[in-house]
Amino acid sequence: MSAKSSVRSSIRAIAIGFLAALSACVSAPPPPPQDQMSRTKVETAPADIQLLCADAVAKASGADSTKILPVSSGKIDSKTYQVELDASGKKTSCLVDTDGNVKSVQPT
Amino acid sequence: MIAGRAALQRKSLTAIVAMALGLVAVAALAAGTQVFDPKTRKWVDYDRTKARKYYAAHNEVPEAFRPQMVKFRTAEVPGTIIIDGNQHFLYLVQPGQRAMRYGIGVGREGFGWAGIVRVGRMAEWPTWTPPAEMIARDPNAVKHAGGMPGGPDNPLGARALYLYERDQDTIYRIHGTPEPWTIGLDVSSGCIRMRNDDITDLASRVKVGAKVIVLMQGAALYKGV
Repeated sequence: MSAKSSVRSSIRAIAIGFLAALSACVSAPPPPPQDQMSRTKVETAPADIQLLCADAVAKASGADSTKILPVSSGKIDSKTYQVELDASGKKTSCLVDTDGNVKSVQPT
Repeated sequence: MIAGRAALQRKSLTAIVAMALGLVAVAALAAGTQVFDPKTRKWVDYDRTKARKYYAAHNEVPEAFRPQMVKFRTAEVPGTIIIDGNQHFLYLVQPGQRAMRYGIGVGREGFGWAGIVRVGRMAEWPTWTPPAEMIARDPNAVKHAGGMPGGPDNPLGARALYLYERDQDTIYRIHGTPEPWTIGLDVSSGCIRMRNDDITDLASRVKVGAKVIVLMQGAALYKGV
C-alpha cells in the first residue's frame, strides 16, 4: 500500500467515525415509560408525592389530615420537589425527593 | 434629531409590546397538555383539535390516558380516589402502594377547583339537570332545565359519582361522557369526565363514602377545606 492510499484510508476512517459520532448526537431520545407518555408544560409534583407531603404535615402539626391540601408544587432540582400546602388557611412548605422521602416541613 | 429619537422610542415601544405579547402567548401555552408521539419520537402539543383528530384516526385516546395500574406511594387507604387535575389523571388507590390510573377531562380555565370531598351517591345512566348558573350562561342548557333523561347523548354518560362535602351535594360529579376525545383536556364546567367504559369500571370498584382528593394547582379551593 502506498503512503498516499494509506493517508486516504485514514481520512476515510476518521470521516466515518465523525459521521457515526454525529448521528449518535442527533438520534432521538428513548421513548418514556408507558405510564409517562403524557405531560404538561408546567411540571407539577406527582400526585402521590404531593400527598406524602400532606401526610407529613398532618403528622408534624397534629392537624386534621382531611383539612390539608397541596395547592401548588414544582421541581426545584432534578431530585427535589417543593410542595405548598393549605391546612385550613395555614400555609406550609414541604421539600420531598423524587423517591418520596420528605426532607423538611416548614410554615411559610 | 428629535424625530430620530421619537422613531427610536416608537421602535422600542413596539419591541416591548411584541415581547409582552410573546410572553402572554407563552404563558397561555404554559399549562398545555403534551403527548409523546411514538412515530416521530417527539412530544407534541395536545389540544382540542388534535385530540379530535387522534380519536377519529384511532377510535381511542392516546395511550397515556387509557386505564393502567401504576406505582403510587401513599398513606391513603385503598378505595380512595385522587384526582390530579393538572396532569389529567384519576387514581383509585389499591393495596400494595399501587393505583389504578384513568385519563380524565377537567374544568377549563376559571372552572377548575381543588378540595377534599367524598362520593355521596352513584347513579347509572343518570338524568342530567344543568345547574342554574349553567342555564344562565349557556342558552343550549335552557331546554334541559327540567332534566335530560340518561342515554348515549347525555353529558353525564354511563355513570355519575356525586361528590359531597359532608352531607351537602357540591354540584360537582365524576361522570362519563359522550365526547371521549376530550379526555386529557381542560374542557368541563368543573366536573371530572371519563370515558364511559372507564367510569363504569371505576363505579364498580368504588363504594359510597369513599374519600376523593382533588388536586389542581392554581384553582380555587372548594369551601370547607
